[in-house]
Amino acid sequence: MELQDSYYDKSDYVETASGNKVCRRTVLCGSQNIILQGKVIVQAEAIIRGDLANVRTGRYCIISKEAVIRPPYKKFSKGVAFFPLNMGDHVYIGEKSVVSAAVIGNYVYIGKNCVIGRRCELKDCCVIEDNTILSPETVVPPFSRFGGSPGTQIGTLPEVQADIMVDYTRSYYQHFQPNKIIL
Amino acid sequence: MSDITLPRNNIKITTGALVCEDSKLRGDITIGKDTIVHPMATIIAESAPIIIGENCLIEEQAKIVYRVPFDRVEDKDNIPPLIIGSFNVFEVGCHVEAAKIGDSNVFESKCFVGNKVSVSNGCTIGAGCQLTNEQELKENIIVYGEKCQMREGLSKPLPQYSQMETLMKILPSYHHIKKPTQKTK
Repeated sequence: MELQDSYYDKSDYVETASGNKVCRRTVLCGSQNIILQGKVIVQAEAIIRGDLANVRTGRYCIISKEAVIRPPYKKFSKGVAFFPLNMGDHVYIGEKSVVSAAVIGNYVYIGKNCVIGRRCELKDCCVIEDNTILSPETVVPPFSRFGGSPGTQIGTLPEVQADIMVDYTRSYYQHFQPNKIIL
Repeated sequence: MSDITLPRNNIKITTGALVCEDSKLRGDITIGKDTIVHPMATIIAESAPIIIGENCLIEEQAKIVYRVPFDRVEDKDNIPPLIIGSFNVFEVGCHVEAAKIGDSNVFESKCFVGNKVSVSNGCTIGAGCQLTNEQELKENIIVYGEKCQMREGLSKPLPQYSQMETLMKILPSYHHIKKPTQKTK
């Protein structure tokens, strides 16, 4: 299935040498601690909290509008520490989702309006449906589909899921084009 | 009294509070000692002043709005201020319009509390729960799950001292902080 072209305002986005497309209206706190590996799209009003800890994404990640990427914290007997958040390749994060996971594997799809609790581990090739609330420290196994509140497994995924996500994120990136100005 | 459509900004920050410059504060707001307001948090005092107590934690995208209370629509001039107690936590993306908020409450991510609700002390409103009906939450009530079930907790949620201590150290090195305008009493 071919995706439709989605257009953005060229003056609104910054494109880096490695092909990252980052909207000017995002909030990147502590940008020196945020590593975008290349071909990553960060859309308007997304928030990435690099000030709390390092955030590292893979290639072909899509962070949609108003999503929040927030490194998790853990309590110790001596105070609290924030942990770095690592994301694999080909990850899609839907609109208005709050992600506070510890690890996100490759080929992960997170729907709209999700809450991924503190220190969750999303393994490779999993799908989190729209409006899911994952309680803190949930481990999502590979090839599983999670939904509900609190999130539980509601199905499994076929082995081609990795290829589906590669195709999806690649074509999303290719179809994310600047507005052609018609005069 | 401030005009309802365009409230006059009058923000009082007590010494020891940490309020990021990127936060959106509108209307007459008083922020107590040791309270942390993250960037992109929104506090709107539309109808009357909001007074926030000590040691509160307000995270990004949290929205605290104080509108005209539903039972006071006729009498718009004498609305009492919204007093938010101490040790409250407002997590990412919560939307709180409650008419009364006590101490030690936790509003988790993406919860919604309507303006007909009044919250006492020690309550936890779980992630994604929506409370809109007219009700008063008793002490230590926990709201959870898809259907917003309720049960009574054994104790109040613990204050997040250690997290706030860490944030007090980290945030000033990355963000512009609003200067305190009031000395501690």
